[in-house]
Amino acid sequence: MNIKFSAAFAIVMYLVIPFTLGDNNYLIGLVASALIIAGIAVAWALLGNLGGMVSFGHAAFFGVGAYTSAVLTMDHGVPVFVALVMGGIGASISSIFMMPALRLRGPYFALAILAYAEIFKILAVEATSITGGAGGLLSIPTLPVFMGIDFGTKLGGYIVILNIVCLTLITYHFIRKSTYGLALKAMHDSEMATRIVGVPATYLKIVMLLVSAFMTGSIGAFNAHYINFLEPDYAFSGSWTIFPIVAAIFGGYRTLSGPVLGALFIYLVDQLVFKSVMPQGHQLILGAMLAGMIILSPSGLLPILTKFFAPKKNIKKAEGQHA
Amino acid sequence: MKVLKLSSVLACALGAAVSFAQVDTAHAEKFVIGEHTPLTGSLARVGTGSHRGVVTGIKVLNDKYKGQHTFELKTIDDESNPAKAVSAVEKLASQGVIAFSGGYASGVIGPASEAANKANLPYITFGGVATALSQRGHEGFFRINSAAGYGKAVVGLVSEMDLKSVSIAYSNKEATHKMAEYIEKKLGEKGLKVSTHEYDAHVKDFKSIVNKIKLRDRSEAIIMVGYESEYVGILRAANLLKPNVKAMIGVWSLATGKMAKEFPDLMKNVYGTAMLPFPVSFDKPKQQTFYQAYKANYEEEPSYLEQFGYVQTRLLGEAIVRAFDKGDTSLKGIATELRKTDEMTISGRVRFDEKGDNPEFVQRVGQHQGGKIPLVWPAEEKTGEKVFPGTPWN
Repeated sequence: MNIKFSAAFAIVMYLVIPFTLGDNNYLIGLVASALIIAGIAVAWALLGNLGGMVSFGHAAFFGVGAYTSAVLTMDHGVPVFVALVMGGIGASISSIFMMPALRLRGPYFALAILAYAEIFKILAVEATSITGGAGGLLSIPTLPVFMGIDFGTKLGGYIVILNIVCLTLITYHFIRKSTYGLALKAMHDSEMATRIVGVPATYLKIVMLLVSAFMTGSIGAFNAHYINFLEPDYAFSGSWTIFPIVAAIFGGYRTLSGPVLGALFIYLVDQLVFKSVMPQGHQLILGAMLAGMIILSPSGLLPILTKFFAPKKNIKKAEGQHA
Repeated sequence: MKVLKLSSVLACALGAAVSFAQVDTAHAEKFVIGEHTPLTGSLARVGTGSHRGVVTGIKVLNDKYKGQHTFELKTIDDESNPAKAVSAVEKLASQGVIAFSGGYASGVIGPASEAANKANLPYITFGGVATALSQRGHEGFFRINSAAGYGKAVVGLVSEMDLKSVSIAYSNKEATHKMAEYIEKKLGEKGLKVSTHEYDAHVKDFKSIVNKIKLRDRSEAIIMVGYESEYVGILRAANLLKPNVKAMIGVWSLATGKMAKEFPDLMKNVYGTAMLPFPVSFDKPKQQTFYQAYKANYEEEPSYLEQFGYVQTRLLGEAIVRAFDKGDTSLKGIATELRKTDEMTISGRVRFDEKGDNPEFVQRVGQHQGGKIPLVWPAEEKTGEKVFPGTPWN
């Protein structure tokens, strides 16, 4: 089912959408924006699902990645695609400063990470000579022409973010399937028990934090070159944390593709349907829908769809499985 | 089969969503102007004012060109969010708008006007005074105001007061930072002792800054360069600590009827830039045209936001008609006609330099006096005498 679903998803995203919406900058731009949320949602779910760490501070990784990439391209002439990777590395490095928070658990860890996000935002405001201060950076280089393809167009940007999201999903998949993934899943249920049997819990949590930060940072870097603008309030906005969390929970954060499905669904439905019906205050409908979903299906949208489409024998099997 | 079923559901869902976004196409004689503005979110108050001005501009254009041309406005709420503003511009561009009028805050206008430039559409605004906006080389970017116009007004007022020292409290946003720098430089050149105090835009308690001004700077006036809630915070702190100053002066968003009504005690004797006094008296024919068109739709008295929104939209509409008459309503055609604009509007003289800025823009200064805001600077625009020295607490 998963392979077939992934194939269907890939066909829709790589073929159907570009060929049907490719000429419409607005619609392809909306799908790209939804994928940005989706990518962060996957990175957040990886940390929460495998590392057992609920983060309220992914905006910090997003912002650091965005600024790293923007500054490298604008001030040092680094090629944009290289800078996207450097943005991820920059975010990973920033996560090193958060490692003392790994000693904390649950809401304490979440709040500590939130505080780090605020610190990075203040640093971006104060480091005026590098970041442009509160005024931010305008005219950040757009995605370049590469091998004859102009990635600076809306469609080009869509293809780039789609590839980034697919890479995060593939990485997540392989980590989950590895022995480390098994240990991490066990840690999620009982960290104490896994420590007793010799699992290096702290080491694994550090690696997950680095990986999650890298993913989010590279997406932040992409966004900087996609929207060509950055300012601290925008780059470190809490919405880069809240919306992906909502998307992940809505889609099913304990599944691989749930966060992506959740982000695509809520962003596109909100912007295309709810906003058309209710231009001001459409968030009310979205909020009601989210509340309804969480009450009716705490596991998210994907488990509902799976239940609806999968044969009954597979449902029983799936119900007993961990993410 | 199940996969196909799921795929078809996904495709149907996407198709249904897409159908909501399908578009009309503009007709040749009908000019569709696009507007993205913050009707919700943190900038909703100013965005709503700006939007009302734009709506009024469209009404006046339709009245003027009745029987010849029609103007239609398509508005999308950008939710005070840069990414949503970009999406709004892209959506409006796909719906065949001919130009954009709107936007508020430099951080939103920057990416939105970038998107308009990519779509080869002109963009006119008054909502962002960041210098960088007009230095990007966009042929179609225009704004009817400039930071310098606000700065000149404040410097002119302070010079007239014959003060020896001032303290500037300013937000660390780009526009406010640059404005504070400008005022500091100009007043310094005039021989005043100038002290500056930067604060983060999220600061709520200004007592420490006011205390520094009171005990260390001992300045004769406080100049505030920020936004509405920050002014309220600074004035509350000053009311409590009562520094020995002769004047409290704000830059933008302060001398408005809304502030006079909502904070009558806090605003007493406070100065702020304004184009017209409050309550406003629209005596001249151009002012009457605006006021009557505005009142046809809205009950509240218009502020400078409505006036600016109206002026930019009307000037854009006039340029579109001229470009249409010459057979070129492309970005180049409309931009060329906008550059030919040189008109005395209800917001003062407007003409555009090669970067799209209005070098003629100069604000006036009003003072809150018992629920009214007469203009007290410059001398030729005065509608009342200033209360000086005067602060909310004495």
